[in-house]
Amino acid sequence: MKVWPLKFREHDHGELLFTNEAGGFFRSDQRFLERYVDGILTDDDFEFLRRHGHAYRDTSDAAFDGFCGRWARRINPVSKLNYFILIPTLRCNLTCDYCQVSRAPETASGFDWNDEILRQFLGSLSKLDTETIKIEFQGGEPLLRLDILEEVREFCRNNFRQAEFVVCTNLQSVSEEAWEFLGAADTFISTSFDGVEEVHRSQRTKESVVHSEFRSNLQRAFSEFGTAKVSALPTLDVHNLPDPDTVIRSFVELGLRSIYLRRVNYQGFARKRYDFRDTQEAWMEFYRRFVDRLVEHNWENDDAVEEYYLSHLLRRIFRTGVQNHVDLRNPNWLGYDYLVVDFDGQYYPTDEARMVSRIGRLDLSIGDVDSGIDARKRDVLNSAASNFEDPDCIHCVYQAYCGPDVIDDLSRYGRIDIPRHETAHCQHHTALFDFAFELIYSEDPKVQRSLGHWLGTPKYRTELAARLK
Amino acid sequence: MIPLRVAIDPFPISVPLVIRLQNDGPSEEGTAGVIHRGQGFVEYDVCGLSLTVRTPDPDALDGDVVLILPGQRSLHRLIRNGSPHNTFLVTEQCDQKCVMCSQPPKAHHVDLFDPFYEAALLGPYGTTIGISGGEPMLHKERLFDFLLRVQERRPDIEFHILTNGQHFDKNDEPILQRLDRARILWGIPCYSASPETHDDIVVKAGAFETLERNLALLGKNGHRIELRTVILNANVNGLADLSLYVTTHHPHISFWAIMQLEPIGYGRQNWGREFFDSSQNFDPIAAGVDIANIRGLETVLYNFPLCTVPEPYRRFCANSISDWKQKYLPTCSDCSAINRCTGFFEWYPEERGFSSVGAL
Repeated sequence: MKVWPLKFREHDHGELLFTNEAGGFFRSDQRFLERYVDGILTDDDFEFLRRHGHAYRDTSDAAFDGFCGRWARRINPVSKLNYFILIPTLRCNLTCDYCQVSRAPETASGFDWNDEILRQFLGSLSKLDTETIKIEFQGGEPLLRLDILEEVREFCRNNFRQAEFVVCTNLQSVSEEAWEFLGAADTFISTSFDGVEEVHRSQRTKESVVHSEFRSNLQRAFSEFGTAKVSALPTLDVHNLPDPDTVIRSFVELGLRSIYLRRVNYQGFARKRYDFRDTQEAWMEFYRRFVDRLVEHNWENDDAVEEYYLSHLLRRIFRTGVQNHVDLRNPNWLGYDYLVVDFDGQYYPTDEARMVSRIGRLDLSIGDVDSGIDARKRDVLNSAASNFEDPDCIHCVYQAYCGPDVIDDLSRYGRIDIPRHETAHCQHHTALFDFAFELIYSEDPKVQRSLGHWLGTPKYRTELAARLK
Repeated sequence: MIPLRVAIDPFPISVPLVIRLQNDGPSEEGTAGVIHRGQGFVEYDVCGLSLTVRTPDPDALDGDVVLILPGQRSLHRLIRNGSPHNTFLVTEQCDQKCVMCSQPPKAHHVDLFDPFYEAALLGPYGTTIGISGGEPMLHKERLFDFLLRVQERRPDIEFHILTNGQHFDKNDEPILQRLDRARILWGIPCYSASPETHDDIVVKAGAFETLERNLALLGKNGHRIELRTVILNANVNGLADLSLYVTTHHPHISFWAIMQLEPIGYGRQNWGREFFDSSQNFDPIAAGVDIANIRGLETVLYNFPLCTVPEPYRRFCANSISDWKQKYLPTCSDCSAINRCTGFFEWYPEERGFSSVGAL
């Protein structure tokens, strides 16, 4: 019997979590670790390990093929370009605290797509090798350029078998023409709602008149289109964190069952002032408290609520092939399946790459609508797209579930080769995976009830939280 | 119950005949148009010969592709127009004698691949054809040849092939690579993660070991597999284990069908011993479904009337019983879920069946 390489990490109560490269995991103790290291595993050890996909008799054993299959299915394949994030204008009618670099005043000129960019962009769409397309309109406030949105949507509807549109709007000032545009079956609304009225006002709308305009538009969006078409994301400032229960209640009142907690991603000067290391602990403390309150909510109520990113991590732990969230996948190919097109026609691999470039720290553009993709530059970025060869990641117990974030490393440190565990991305994800595994091994029936909801099944099963005694 | 065979008057042919019946339009090659409707019968023009079909409802046959065998007094409705449940029974031979088999094996074999090929070519666009038996892979050279020939002429047709997975080997890999993997779904049964239990259920020593190897072979060659597990008293308590086993060692499986017992054939003979009353205790099935869901394996419950399943698990139930052998009980007429429900098999023995059924 052969055992696939095991990695381990100490978890609570001195138990060790073991994982393999295909994402299999179990908990055991120091004595097992010693038997493993000394090469004196027992027959019972081998039987447990084979049953749970950590060992095989020989290469003709189905357990061998099973491992290879699970390993391969965790790889994010390069896929065809079929998703664009467009910035038709950088202008915006709000001045939110945390939006330091990605906006221009509403009345400014020179911050919109011109006719030439629009023409070139549509021209590039017609060369795509895909039957389906997804377009996300961002900004700035995209509804300030409804005319461009109309034209892009019409073009996509006529040139692709299936087209889907998301308008990321602040819902501040919505004309009747805009409501009509948003009402189409193929068009979805993504808006910002910071979870608590006072927080939302202090961070975003400022004036009470402006705030009540937003509130009435938010109500109208949900009552007219429902949660199938409208989603809302909170942006939270780690220095001004809201009460979890109030956030949960506000989202539930809107009919939303999924809350994606995002913290303010400081750029430039603000990043220097609010150092990641100083805020990480406070954020995780809040995050755990928030999830505890969700667990409590789900115990008391039938309509279960999730924290989106935690559910995503749980799915990536238990399943293979979960590649539907572009922020966490491995390899995290940049500039292939989706592209950001800025107000000046420049291509960026991600929205954060666009912001890093705007503050003049590094130019992470990878071409433009006129000259196309700069393949050489894209290749350079993708040289570190996977965690397979990373000298630190290969020792990490969470490697199979995680994925690198080259852009975040570049934006914070200006380089990609500093020790992984010193990076914000690694520290944050290590803390999140630690927390996820605490939940997976929790014996609290309330936690288990929530896990079932978050993993899309009536009842969580502890058989999947294996322990080798 | 929808009849799959319909009586005909003696028809003078010496080789099997495959034609599409149609109400309108002139008869041309491969089709037969109506020339006369009488009381309880209808006449078709088959290349100048008159075919008399004894049916009170000729419209139900419009567009059907049928097979007439020399000397037989009935036609076989091979592809019923508009039905998703069309199956070619390619042989009645089998090397297993599964305790729940709905069509116990017979020794004799008649090769009908040529008429099946003609029928497939006449089938409606994009139709799914079931291939079943017996064990179709006992005649795998003929089966592979049939599939390759059909996919060349009719790349729109999809196949759902039921096989016990015992007859693949490494030498089949070149053909497995040539078959259109996007349009073939192999339905393969596995009853337990315990080799002994599986072998006992299929009554063949060593079957599990061969099955395990061949599931991997199909997976490595990129083929899509629907795993099928009929629940029995003999295996129901191992369903959680089977779910763990499948999701660990066979990650390439696309769907898992967990099926209630069909009371016909050996299933009827062994009903008393093997029928598991899931309306009384759904727990072992729920455990299997939950584990598969969490691991991301899409799971479907076949042949479970909705009222026998706890509410949270009803969304996994499919309307799976084929239209021609599906029935509802008198109590079902008051049920609000009847349109979503699979109902009962035509031959379901109410007095020995689920202890708890009733309108929702």
